[in-house]
Amino acid sequence: MASHSFLWSFGKKVFTFGLIGLTVSDRYASILPVRGASMAPTFNPRADSFVGSLSDDYVLVEKFCLGNYKFSHGDVIVFRSPHNHKEKHVKRIIGSPGDWIGTHSSYDVVKVLDGHCRVEGDNPSSSMESRTYGPIPLGLVQGRITHIVWPPQRLGAVKRNIYADRLSSS
Amino acid sequence: MASHSFLWGFGKKFFTFGLIGLTVSDRYASILPVRGASMSPTFNPGSNSFGGSLFDDYVLVEKFCLDKYKFSRGDVIVFRSPWNHKEKHVKRIIGLPGDWIGTHSSYDAVKVPDGHCWVEGDNLSSSMDSRSVGPIPLGLVQGRVTHIVWPPQRLGVVEGNIHEDRLSSS
Repeated sequence: MASHSFLWSFGKKVFTFGLIGLTVSDRYASILPVRGASMAPTFNPRADSFVGSLSDDYVLVEKFCLGNYKFSHGDVIVFRSPHNHKEKHVKRIIGSPGDWIGTHSSYDVVKVLDGHCRVEGDNPSSSMESRTYGPIPLGLVQGRITHIVWPPQRLGAVKRNIYADRLSSS
Repeated sequence: MASHSFLWGFGKKFFTFGLIGLTVSDRYASILPVRGASMSPTFNPGSNSFGGSLFDDYVLVEKFCLDKYKFSRGDVIVFRSPWNHKEKHVKRIIGLPGDWIGTHSSYDAVKVPDGHCWVEGDNLSSSMDSRSVGPIPLGLVQGRVTHIVWPPQRLGVVEGNIHEDRLSSS
């Protein structure tokens, strides 16, 4: 009977810690792999090489920002794709609601709509960006990337770059 | 010391059940109030009267559908507003990706893009829905309404009915 009650209390501890881990991962922070080269050189700088897919960067995604919905220019966010709700994408915010964004392909200046943001990948040559998506509703955002946690030689905070020549706040 | 360990044990149970409740509410099912008359007579049929706001219907929202993203036409869903990510709205799905939706005001038919759905309120005269804002990305959906749980005289399942004359699948 001693081992029975030991297993029972061990099982309860595993269950409780599993539940705490699940709640923290859902609501506060989790670790996700980044796939693809659209955010090179920030993430996956060598994704074009043969061994690239074996060394996906793992990043820390924090979800505290969702409570107040305070996103800034230059934040790297994880969002559900508006074209395929089962996929999540990683891009950098370059425009918040009310900003005017200049497009490279024409001389137009586009105003970012309320409740939306414009995103772009850091790799200008190969990225399905917001110019293809259109503006992203902020409700699709799942979290903000703050740190790279793997591989260890690239451990560190993710910086916020602001492309000041691309936008002007209204 | 007996009361101290009793309080500690009680606190642990309380914390565990609170955590279980939180996880269930986030991931599986929760109960939300419905505000406004855009879904009359399905919800809040008397909300035009003075006492209407005191008698909001409370509904059961299930989130199992989110894992597989299997929605059907006629489902009533809860989604974040694309214009204000802090608000949630309740409407009925009229069209899924690939459907052609007929509009009453003209002879045009609109095709629902990939990853989006067309929603309308049951009370067409006072409902801000896809007829004015366009299709909603499915990634904004937060759950599906299955039952009314309050007030008790309207307890029951929420039916999934649609107007067959409005759409044709491609």
